Amino acid sequence: MWVGEGGEIFGAVTIGGCVDAYVIEQAETVLSTQMPRLIELPLGDEDAWELGLSCAGIIEVFIEPLSAAHSPPFDLYTALKSHLDRGGSGALMTCLDGATMGAKLLLFDNGRTLGSLGDAALDQAVCTAVLFDLAQGLSRTLSFALPHMTVRVFVEVHTPPATLIIVGASHMAMLLVQLARPIGFHTIVVDSRPRFATPERFPATDTLLVGIPSEIVESLPLSSSTAVILVAHDYKYDLPILRHVLSSSVGYIGVLGSRRRGEGLRQFLREEGVTEEALRRIRVPIGLDLGGRSAPEIALAILAEVVATRYGGSHLPLSQVRQDRV
Amino acid sequence: MTLQYSETIFEHFRHPRNFGALPAPEVAYEAVNALCGDRIRMELNVSADQTITAVRFRGDSCIISRAAASILTELIQGQMLQEVIKLPQEVLLTALHTNIRPARMKCALLPLHILQTGLAVYLRS
Repeated sequence: MWVGEGGEIFGAVTIGGCVDAYVIEQAETVLSTQMPRLIELPLGDEDAWELGLSCAGIIEVFIEPLSAAHSPPFDLYTALKSHLDRGGSGALMTCLDGATMGAKLLLFDNGRTLGSLGDAALDQAVCTAVLFDLAQGLSRTLSFALPHMTVRVFVEVHTPPATLIIVGASHMAMLLVQLARPIGFHTIVVDSRPRFATPERFPATDTLLVGIPSEIVESLPLSSSTAVILVAHDYKYDLPILRHVLSSSVGYIGVLGSRRRGEGLRQFLREEGVTEEALRRIRVPIGLDLGGRSAPEIALAILAEVVATRYGGSHLPLSQVRQDRV
Repeated sequence: MTLQYSETIFEHFRHPRNFGALPAPEVAYEAVNALCGDRIRMELNVSADQTITAVRFRGDSCIISRAAASILTELIQGQMLQEVIKLPQEVLLTALHTNIRPARMKCALLPLHILQTGLAVYLRS
């Protein structure tokens, strides 16, 4: 959460906002003193605790002052954003204890570092430990034993936004873009038809590409954080694009269509020598079984499957998932 | 259900001839069927005496359109530009060995339309 000196608020600390009011108050104090602080908060107000209606648990919130004019953290955030914009990832580490509380070290995925936690040995140890977190996109707090004390370091991992490539500038594609943007996807819509792939039909998409769809997709970077959704419902796009994306590490491949059509596509590719293991990566029919029939409901089901696949979700209602998985 | 397309069409769809790109084409033209989305690019190398010495096509298109493009590249290889620009539609349609329904005529003739438009642009320049 960001709290401006004029009272502006951007983002939130908790999903329910039950502790946010207190955090905002504390942030105003930090702004006036220009000193960072670590606060500890129970989740839920006193009444909720008394009635047993709290989510339970205690969270720690680190609050630091940030100024564009004279603030080393600002330079680190700027460098991190610039790296993310170029498709890289990075981990911003913050020291939570001791005299160097608030000191920061930025580690890029190429191994380069900026800043320091105040101790060269600690910097080295943290970077070694965090490389795994960086690859996994995992943010967490780590503890490190120094000669005189144990120091906790908050590791905040930032990765480029997941990319959603939608082939076919159809009505379904329009709905997918509308839903995907607030989830945080970078959306790319591809079609060969300039009459369909227009900015007027896709005002919210990040990139709109018109040309030979298979060539366009071949020119795009594909990674495990990329989802490719084929909604043109047209084999002339589906076949060449599937040939290409099945040979990549793309994280999700979905094709709009029936089970029968999907088997037809698989059979065609099978006869060309595509392996069964690769063919099993194609999801068709596409989306989770939410029961909805309308186009927006289908778009929601598709994105639900994309998100569940990205995070390794169980695809089950949370109320039915074992507690140790939540 | 009886398949309506000839073996020729299936063969050229699965194994298109001259599919790809030329490194330095003298003629290059791409067009799209605005509604169905068939998009094809034709590229030619032309010698000083206006003979087609190499031809390639690429794109994402339906079975008829892709087969027609493949067959067309074989028909025009080694031909003179002035002959190809006047190539009658019937020659290509006959080579498909299938009665193309009116609704699919645009698909069958898209490659020829692209080729002849590209040649016209090239000759004008």
